[in-house]
Amino acid sequence: MEALLELVEQLPALLAGARSALVRDWDSLTLDRALEWARYFQHLHDRFRTRPRLREVLGRRLRRAQLSPSLGFPHLGRCPQLLGLALLENRALPPTACRCLLRSLLQPSGAEAGPEPHSLALLARRKAASRLLALPSSPPLSPADMEPQLQAEAQLLLGRLREEGQEAESAGEAAGRPRWFSAVLEQLPTPRVFEVVAAALLGQGNGAERAGGGGLAGNSLDGNRASATGEECVAGPLLSWLVGNQERFSAFCLFLPGSLLASLAGHYSQLSRPYLDLLAGCGSHLLYDPLQGRWVKSCPDKAVLSWEELRERFTCLYQGSAVLRGQTQAALKLLKAHDGDFQVCGLSVWTDLLTEVEECLRKDAEC
Amino acid sequence: MAEDTPVPKLNFEYWLNKAIEWGQATTLESQKDVCLHLPQLQEFLHEIYETLKHKDSVVAIQQFPLIGQLLGRLCWNPFVVGYDESQKTLMWCLCCLYSSEPQNPVELKANSWIRSLLCHLLSSSKWESNEAETSTFISTLGYTSADYYCHLVKNMVFSLVTELRGNQFNGLYIQGRVSASRVNAMSLFCLPLITLPDVTPLLETLLLYHGGASKEILSSQFLEAVNEAFLKKKISLPETAVFSLWLRHLPSLEKATLYLLDQLVSIQLNSLEEVACVIKDSLLPQAASHPAIFRIVNEIFKNALLETDGTPEVMTIIQVFTQLFLQAHQNENKQHKFPLKAYFPYHHQPLVTALLKRPFELPATHWSAHLKHISDILKALVEDTNVSSLADLFEIWFLVVRFGEWPDIAAEQLLKAAGEPDALLWLLAFYYCPQNENQQRTQTMVEAKAVYNHLMMLFNCTVLSVKALEAAVHSITDTEQCCNQHLLTHLLTNFLLFSSGGHTIAQEFIYHITETTDSSKEVCSLLTRTAYRINHNGEENERTVKLLNELLEKLTLKV
Repeated sequence: MEALLELVEQLPALLAGARSALVRDWDSLTLDRALEWARYFQHLHDRFRTRPRLREVLGRRLRRAQLSPSLGFPHLGRCPQLLGLALLENRALPPTACRCLLRSLLQPSGAEAGPEPHSLALLARRKAASRLLALPSSPPLSPADMEPQLQAEAQLLLGRLREEGQEAESAGEAAGRPRWFSAVLEQLPTPRVFEVVAAALLGQGNGAERAGGGGLAGNSLDGNRASATGEECVAGPLLSWLVGNQERFSAFCLFLPGSLLASLAGHYSQLSRPYLDLLAGCGSHLLYDPLQGRWVKSCPDKAVLSWEELRERFTCLYQGSAVLRGQTQAALKLLKAHDGDFQVCGLSVWTDLLTEVEECLRKDAEC
Repeated sequence: MAEDTPVPKLNFEYWLNKAIEWGQATTLESQKDVCLHLPQLQEFLHEIYETLKHKDSVVAIQQFPLIGQLLGRLCWNPFVVGYDESQKTLMWCLCCLYSSEPQNPVELKANSWIRSLLCHLLSSSKWESNEAETSTFISTLGYTSADYYCHLVKNMVFSLVTELRGNQFNGLYIQGRVSASRVNAMSLFCLPLITLPDVTPLLETLLLYHGGASKEILSSQFLEAVNEAFLKKKISLPETAVFSLWLRHLPSLEKATLYLLDQLVSIQLNSLEEVACVIKDSLLPQAASHPAIFRIVNEIFKNALLETDGTPEVMTIIQVFTQLFLQAHQNENKQHKFPLKAYFPYHHQPLVTALLKRPFELPATHWSAHLKHISDILKALVEDTNVSSLADLFEIWFLVVRFGEWPDIAAEQLLKAAGEPDALLWLLAFYYCPQNENQQRTQTMVEAKAVYNHLMMLFNCTVLSVKALEAAVHSITDTEQCCNQHLLTHLLTNFLLFSSGGHTIAQEFIYHITETTDSSKEVCSLLTRTAYRINHNGEENERTVKLLNELLEKLTLKV
């Protein structure tokens, strides 16, 4: 067993090496050996997948071997692809070794007709399919209708979080935020990362509803077990990342549309309170301009919502679940009360908001 | 440069020109043209690969100097890359051209170019510029482009399916306002992807999509390709989608029916169970519950029958098909099922009703009476002067052929049941010899009656001598008309099967008959049908069943 664990420790080094200039000295024998190792790791993964204790031991050993542990047990299963593609793109690989690589990756061979050649052909086919199916899309009809690329990124993020959660579960540890979490999210530019996180939270929240795109990335034969505990370990890190940093949370809320945020707030109570607080903060920055007869921003600051935007957001919240609507209404009423409880318009932004939002919804209900 | 290559140079130039013409397939014409040529291109690429795989990369490039251009252009055409197995062959060819020991800068450059191309196809690190951020994000997560594109394609399919199905608000389906041209484009873009399992839900939705336009909005190339893939069992679709395909695209239905006939004629008709299995798998009997489909399939069967001059195999296939159709119709749960009579609108309704009754719906003792009833109606119909045209006669005869169980039972009942044989004999005479301009049928009837009487005298003899039957055999071998021959062979075979003394001499007699009259296929067919009927309908004593199986075994070896 110890010998096995020592082998497993080599995985990060193998992958790192494959991406580095070290491959300059590889010949076809070295390459063959590397590919064999990859296959062996996959074999280990398949064998121990259903044995939680062994999985946990292997996973722990793997993490020990890394400075910033980002690879876990599931990566053993993906090793052939990770290695193969990493080597393919590494320009330092000499021609002889490369030829060998191409042969074994892509060409049909009687001996090890493993999933390898097939899955790469499938990849090429799917990539072409994504070009073909990328017809200009009609405007999305609901916040759940997100751009497919966004969804895919969100699904991979969710998949990884789930894997992490499962490993933690089998180790008997509480699921916390994984150490790689922030580093990963930093890879995406700011507006994009918000969309991805929102999509991930929505995807997790809708859970079984999502018919087509709900597959978990990688291997998870116990996907169904990830119910209550799964939710926590997946949504938890995402939510705490969002809410933990005030600036970030404010940017998040201002960037995304009201309907999407209302949807999220409906699913996650950890979000509704901070969101309402944020909106309250925005509202307090509005001043009434008697000449124009409307509420305007007191300072031309982007980090503040305009009257119309604020109203739209509250309207969306009202259209959410009954709980959410109740919460919103209560919050508005409280704000109105603290602001003097005026009935006349033009004196308190909260009075006016409350009036208009409820009026608007009443009109909608009548039609 | 004539060499031992199986790939003529002309083809290469042709495809290179095509590839240049198509570019990245951004215009509608180029897209349609690519789709038209995908299967042949795949074959050609395969041929190229076969030529390349044994050659050194240097030699290969010498032989096909422009191959780089061709492969390069094709790799940037998503229709080509997305089709069936073309991407595999493209990549294999690229591998073959990669040199393991580049001798000069040109070869180095070629190597580098090949790697770039492969990276482009497999989306490794050098993902296209707009995907750069995605790629680092995904690799930091520990996934590869394989995982990403797996999800992406599924999401895209889901999104398109949702768009086509419209939205569901409070249980009401509101058909999305998707324009006809968009749906048409979707169908064309799906064409290369038909055998990709991820796309099947979209195929299904497209096939079931009705936009309200009177003209077909799905591309006919697409419909043809889906049909092809379905017939070759490369994809599996739900029944409703297949029926929809056939209803919208007549050539596909025709192709499916002809394909079925081809399949059945080429396999050995060892047992009708096998035949029934193949027919059922084709989904045509189930589809035929749509009267339009039923009508067309029958037309095709009719033509097949005419073209093959009424061979027993085709007649049997038609019979089994009709039985399966009736079964499927009965099992259907739809509220608005068409009554069976609606499928035979141009026929004499009392006749249709009589024929539609399946034997298992009546107790065996009533079969003779029912057959007499059928015979009487037929006789009146046929001998009526209004029904004198050949075409009308053929239609009536074809109707009887489809319910061929009844004539078969008539032949059995003649020997087994007591009673007036005339009606049943007439039915059989009509079945084998419908025309009567030169009194052929009348003649057949007379000969048959004579043989029948002779056989009935011998029916209960436990010991039969060969001599006794000789007269009967002679009448078969001597007769001039072949339809007489068929009928008499039928009677004699039944006699040997069912009579008390027949089984002892059955083998040698049947052997003798089939040899002298070259009718082994026909007798085989008859025995197969009898076996099938016994398995499903009747009870028969063990001795007969055993004899039947032995005869079949021997005969099928010969055929």
